Amino acid sequence: MTFVNWLKRHLVVLAGLLTLAYLLLPNVVVTVFSFNNPKGRFNYTWQEFSTEAWQDPCGVSGLCASLSLSLQLALWATLGATLLGTMIAFALVRYRFRARGAVNSLIFLPMAMPEVVMAASLLTLFLNMGAQLGFWTILIAHIMFCLSFVVVAVKARVMSMDPRLEQAAQDLYAGPVQTFLRVTLPIAAPGIAAGALLAFALSFDDFIITNFNAGSTVTFPMFVWGSAQRGTPVQINVIGTAMFVIAVTLVLVSMVVGKRRNRQKA
Amino acid sequence: MKTTKDTSAAGNGGDVRLTGISKTYGSFTAVHPLDLTVPQGSFFALLGASGCGKTTTLRMIAGLEEPTAGTVHLGDQDVTALPPYKRPVNTVFQSYALFPHLDIFENVAFGLRRRGIKSVKKQVDEMLELVQLGEQARKKPHQLSGGQQQRVAVARALINHPKVLLLDEPLGALDLKLRRQMQLELKRIQTEVGITFVHVTHDQEEAMTMADTVAVMNAGRVEQLGTPADLYENPRTTFVANFLGTSNFIEAEVDSASGDEIVLRAGGGKLILPGARNSAPTTAGGKVLVGVRPEKISLTPADDAGEIPEGRNRITGRIADSSFIGVSTQFVVDSPVCSDFEVYVQNIDRDARLRPGAEVVLHWNPAHTFGLDAAQSLLAGTVGSAGVETVAEEVAR
Repeated sequence: MTFVNWLKRHLVVLAGLLTLAYLLLPNVVVTVFSFNNPKGRFNYTWQEFSTEAWQDPCGVSGLCASLSLSLQLALWATLGATLLGTMIAFALVRYRFRARGAVNSLIFLPMAMPEVVMAASLLTLFLNMGAQLGFWTILIAHIMFCLSFVVVAVKARVMSMDPRLEQAAQDLYAGPVQTFLRVTLPIAAPGIAAGALLAFALSFDDFIITNFNAGSTVTFPMFVWGSAQRGTPVQINVIGTAMFVIAVTLVLVSMVVGKRRNRQKA
Repeated sequence: MKTTKDTSAAGNGGDVRLTGISKTYGSFTAVHPLDLTVPQGSFFALLGASGCGKTTTLRMIAGLEEPTAGTVHLGDQDVTALPPYKRPVNTVFQSYALFPHLDIFENVAFGLRRRGIKSVKKQVDEMLELVQLGEQARKKPHQLSGGQQQRVAVARALINHPKVLLLDEPLGALDLKLRRQMQLELKRIQTEVGITFVHVTHDQEEAMTMADTVAVMNAGRVEQLGTPADLYENPRTTFVANFLGTSNFIEAEVDSASGDEIVLRAGGGKLILPGARNSAPTTAGGKVLVGVRPEKISLTPADDAGEIPEGRNRITGRIADSSFIGVSTQFVVDSPVCSDFEVYVQNIDRDARLRPGAEVVLHWNPAHTFGLDAAQSLLAGTVGSAGVETVAEEVAR
């Protein structure tokens, strides 16, 4: 009886913890196996504890080059998609123009379309144009599919913005440029940041579209896929774990900073 | 109304002159060609129901709306073509439009900084003191209450010493008690700084308490303009009569008109109307709407009808309903000439005979009667008639 009561009271917490475990278990496995010292080429069974891979993360040829390429691609793609996406979002919310409705729905098409289809059609396009497959084709592809997500994030923010805020800025002697820089942009910033983060994450771990349009270039996800067929070096787990830790640290730091700033203000 | 406003000394730099100004959106005319002069240093109210064009008029003064025709002058300067950020005019917006990403200090300093003023601390601190928000300088707008936000909005506009301060329904979002308090506060600030205030509101009580001059707007036109007392005592249309307070109307026929006194017939009785208070044509046999305010009327039980002094306008009727509201009792009286006659009686000596069903005589001083053209709707400007208070908020375009 008491157990049933206890269960009733803590059911929500329990469900939450279980879901969290379900989400995080793969990360835990990746982390644990980054300290493995596998016998064969495959890092699938636990052998013994070792920090060898952590001491030499670039020890596998091509790994760090692919990682650096992926980071560069993600940065440029984020920049391009955020810039274009923000402008598109503002245009869609603020202006009435011909075919606005059509653009509004077409912009979401890349989100709904199966990635393989998009990848294949892009490849066809590039080949027909005689484009050299490599960094630039990948970048074009990444900006293209990140764009929709940025537009969605920024649009939501701009739509919820009170137009009177900008009118108030104008009323208070701010010209169009000042109004945009001092009021519009800072208020839209959270939406833009969310879009940019999304774009970075999408670009960084995209495999399908990249694989079709990369030519002989190898990004990090492609490297992982390639090695999974020939044998998985522990370094992949090291990089994966490091990325996870960095991301979590960044989130925690931003939370702490935000809280402290709020406390100071109050 | 105004006590110490020497316009000749101050010049007319703060006059607002609208000349033939109008605004149309496609086929809809929000403001019909309008001429209006708001004298320097006055507290001017644009009063009207939602969608009457009052906010559009205000926004044309601010420069946020481009007039379809006509000009806007501030003093001697034609500002019609100037963008809002070049006009010496500031606005207190409906729902305040405080910048959510800036703290209170920066919100108030915004206008100064945009004009390139470097040392803003002293001025901002003084202004925050004036609106009693010195303690809150480092808070964000969402951490303040509605009344505090309202004061920030006023401070943010006033710190720029505009020639004209525009207020767009600034008290609409506050509860009744706070609204009363802020009305007095705004009036005090206006008297102190001597800046021209143009105030847009749909609340007739607010307009009457605060403004020196009120322009009543209806369907894109100024229906009547005057001091609050003048508008209340001498409405020239049924819209004004109903929108400001409550009015009773009797349809009457002109019997004879002799200079300053018009004799009218209504339901067998005679009513006297001062010629000066009549705005209807007075051909013999023509129709006139006779208006009288509920608080001007006295009620006497029919048994005591003999005690009513001679020379007063009188009507007989039966009390249909009465409600006691403390300082007064409000009666609804059915009479042959007008159903639902409203009468407010001060609760000085309460007569127990005045209760629903009782036969009574309504009588009032003929000087309190006003006459309107009978060719207009009796219900114009009443609650529930088209355009009045049925739309909750005027949507800012």
